[in-house]
Amino acid sequence: MAEEGGAAPGVTEEKVIHTYPLIRHSDMSEEMRTEAMELSVTACEKFSQNNELAARMVKESMDKKFGPAFHVVVGESYGFEITYECANICYMYFGGNQAVCIWKCS
Amino acid sequence: MSKPLRLPDLWRCKSTERSIELLLKRLRKDSSKSRANLIDDEALEWLKPRVLIKPDDQEVVPEAGTAIRKDSDEAKAQIAAGYGMVGFDDAGPKRVKVKKSTAEEEEEEEPEAEPAAAEEGKAEEEAAAEEETPEEVKPAEIVETAEGEAEGVPEELEDTEIEEKDETAPKVDAEEEVLTIKPRVKKLANQFNFCERAALTYVFPRRSVETQTVPPPRANYGSTALQCIIFDYYQEDYARKMREKEEEKPKRLRKKEAKHAKTAQQIHDEQLAQRIREAWAILERLVNQNIYDDIAQDYRYWDDPSDEFREGMGSLLPLWRFQFEPMRNHSVCDLQWNPHYQDLFAVAYGSLDFTQQQKQGCLCLYSIKNPAYPEYSVITESPIICLDVYKETPYLICVGRYDGNVCVYNAQLTLESSYQYKSDSVRDKHSNIVWEIRWGARLIDGEASFFSVSGDGRVVQWAVMPGELQATTIIELRSAAAPVPGPDGTLITVNIYRISYNYFNNSIYASCSGDWRVKIWEDGRDEPLFMFELGSPVGDVKWAPYSSTVFAACTADGKVYVYDLNIMKLDKLLSLVRDPPFTPGVVEEKFDDD
Repeated sequence: MAEEGGAAPGVTEEKVIHTYPLIRHSDMSEEMRTEAMELSVTACEKFSQNNELAARMVKESMDKKFGPAFHVVVGESYGFEITYECANICYMYFGGNQAVCIWKCS
Repeated sequence: MSKPLRLPDLWRCKSTERSIELLLKRLRKDSSKSRANLIDDEALEWLKPRVLIKPDDQEVVPEAGTAIRKDSDEAKAQIAAGYGMVGFDDAGPKRVKVKKSTAEEEEEEEPEAEPAAAEEGKAEEEAAAEEETPEEVKPAEIVETAEGEAEGVPEELEDTEIEEKDETAPKVDAEEEVLTIKPRVKKLANQFNFCERAALTYVFPRRSVETQTVPPPRANYGSTALQCIIFDYYQEDYARKMREKEEEKPKRLRKKEAKHAKTAQQIHDEQLAQRIREAWAILERLVNQNIYDDIAQDYRYWDDPSDEFREGMGSLLPLWRFQFEPMRNHSVCDLQWNPHYQDLFAVAYGSLDFTQQQKQGCLCLYSIKNPAYPEYSVITESPIICLDVYKETPYLICVGRYDGNVCVYNAQLTLESSYQYKSDSVRDKHSNIVWEIRWGARLIDGEASFFSVSGDGRVVQWAVMPGELQATTIIELRSAAAPVPGPDGTLITVNIYRISYNYFNNSIYASCSGDWRVKIWEDGRDEPLFMFELGSPVGDVKWAPYSSTVFAACTADGKVYVYDLNIMKLDKLLSLVRDPPFTPGVVEEKFDDD
């Protein structure tokens, strides 16, 4: 994981909460993956109150950089089942409680 | 000689004029393209029916039927007359002398005039005059021959062509003059031999081909994003990272650790065994408590009712007997209570029988709660003569051994382990038996230290360094004991076994010796304050902690005496102990309760 920035520990009863971005499942190329990670971190930090705006920012940037038809979901509690183009999916955790799913499918 | 190509007379015919008129007419008016105007439209010339353009002076050939038949009489008559006879003219090539009828000759005169005029201009043609005449003759003759033959129509035409070609030679000038005046002449194609042919190159047929490329591969993926799942994954990842950091350590360190590390299974087994042991211990205690319940009660609250009767005398009640099977042959050399745990005391098994040495010694820690078996026992290589329990860390016991070594034992270690520290057997050990050993104050560096006295006259201070014991000789004593003057004046040089200082008064101390006496001394005095005579060599004497006047002594014949100086009497309190103890090692706490 490239970034381990500011693990702000919420120490409660010896529990340390990690907030660094953590890839859960991804088959993107290396540079695309780092790009997606940084992008989503920036977006989540910028729009910490509003998931929709964060998702919009990520999607538009990804479309511009890597081609159209990206889909982005930002949230804390959801289930999903998607079809994606191979080598174009990134599912990651961030902030200890948020999950971001980015995939491409036209 | 070559003649310039002259336009055939054809060009100068009526049809030419007419075509030019048409051209002009067309230019003048806008003629719409229709079938009606087709005849006027030169662009669609090819659609028009071919009309042979005949020159004006073309001979009119009679119909086939009207021509003179070959075998007719007229033909024969003409042939006989010599008409149509062809003969070569020796004057030049292509000259054919044909005898012609006079009528035809006359007809030819007109065209002959012009060729004559034309030919005069030509220097090349020397035989102009000659030519004229044969030409004059020729056309007539040719015509005649043509007339002679009914089938010679095409021949005639051809001949007239040839003739006309020849004729145009002299006529050039005239024609040129004529042509220049006229406007542009439409070039007439050769109507006899002209064939218009068009062709279309092969056009490859066209075909449409459609196809669809394979779309990029797709795959499915599904998951759930929940707080608990996210948290678990983070923990897992963190643990993985810690493990990776561990693995980054240099391999040397890792190997060392690996040696000492036990497998998970081993640890698990140990823990299991530990817990079982604890359970057993508790069970053992319970059983013992049940068995020795009254003794425990006595231990605490015993008050012999017989005391009321005896004045000044109390009684000692033997409470427990402690035994250790392997050590049956050993004698107890030293005894000490654990300052921390009130029920624990340490016993040193050794041997003071110098004639018959024991090979081993033992260090045992007994608990009152379990008199049957020591809680902790360590078998040593040589008999232990003395021991001391460290007050600060009660699990450390230092012992002095028969062979002159000192050791420090750690009771916290498991039973299998041996001593923690041992003095160096070459350099630092005492050359004689270590008689006494005591923990001292901590050194400046914070290390624990203890003193030992041995028969070689040295008092050595040992510092407990990590991993070893460091010896420092304090003083050297000349002799173990000073001779004590006895009451009858004789110097008794029997060894003093023990000196015990009074806890309350530092200057008072009691000593016991092998001369059956217990003496109370005061510092500075040569004479003892008190002296007690016991029946046998007194092994040990100790003051009671709670009273400045009470002390106990034990003798070789197995008796324990408790004296109270306050009462000023020989307060013998008997107690029978089977194994001859040399040290009561006493039992300060026990005094508390009496």
